[in-house]
Amino acid sequence: MMSLDDDIAAWAATVRLPDAEAAALFQRIVATAAPPLAVAPPPGPSWWRDFTAGFAARMVSSTRPVRQAA
Amino acid sequence: MDREAEFRRLYEANRAAVHAYFTGRTGDRQSAAELMQEVFLRAWQHQEKLADMPDERRRAWLFTVARNLSVDAHRHRHIRAGAEQALAREPSQPPQPASAEIIASERIAVVAEAIRRLPEPQRITLTMAAAGSMTSAELAAVLGVPAGTVRYRLSVARRAVAEALNRYDDPTQE
Repeated sequence: MMSLDDDIAAWAATVRLPDAEAAALFQRIVATAAPPLAVAPPPGPSWWRDFTAGFAARMVSSTRPVRQAA
Repeated sequence: MDREAEFRRLYEANRAAVHAYFTGRTGDRQSAAELMQEVFLRAWQHQEKLADMPDERRRAWLFTVARNLSVDAHRHRHIRAGAEQALAREPSQPPQPASAEIIASERIAVVAEAIRRLPEPQRITLTMAAAGSMTSAELAAVLGVPAGTVRYRLSVARRAVAEALNRYDDPTQE
């Protein structure tokens, strides 16, 4: 005589995804391109030094009065 | 742990539960597999974000994605209607003296039909408990309802299945 739990478990076994099918799905998923693992590292101190110097130079030159034509 | 091994751990820990959720939702194992694949594909693409989360938050994330996919009501209604029509076409055979195998398959069909007729919250809860091997506490966490509600749904759903089996065992009932 089967219990209710046995009957429900027997049904559950028919709707569960078989392991082989689950493994195939897994392979299909990991075969798709994933985004890059890590973002680019932040710029180092020399990059910031160069950027600051360049920025300052551009600011100075852009605010210099234009020489009037003679 | 490398990226694929980490993802495999996530997949193996949750695939049965996610598949059971969609089976309860759509009533169809194959559609459930396709939707499950979509959930884990998104997890694979967001693995960086998931890597920093504890296990229970990862599971919550997976079920949030699963619920959002389920919101595509037209698609699922269509799938479910197809599954229900397919089930309705199956002839219901009167019980007769038969081998144990035939009786077992008939009992499975009775359980399947009883579960198919349940209201969706009960159907999803029972399917996840039975096919996804989830506890009431786990179900409460991923479905976003109190554990008492889960236990109530399970109780009502089990009673409905038991009544269907009783009618199968004793066709003179009702």
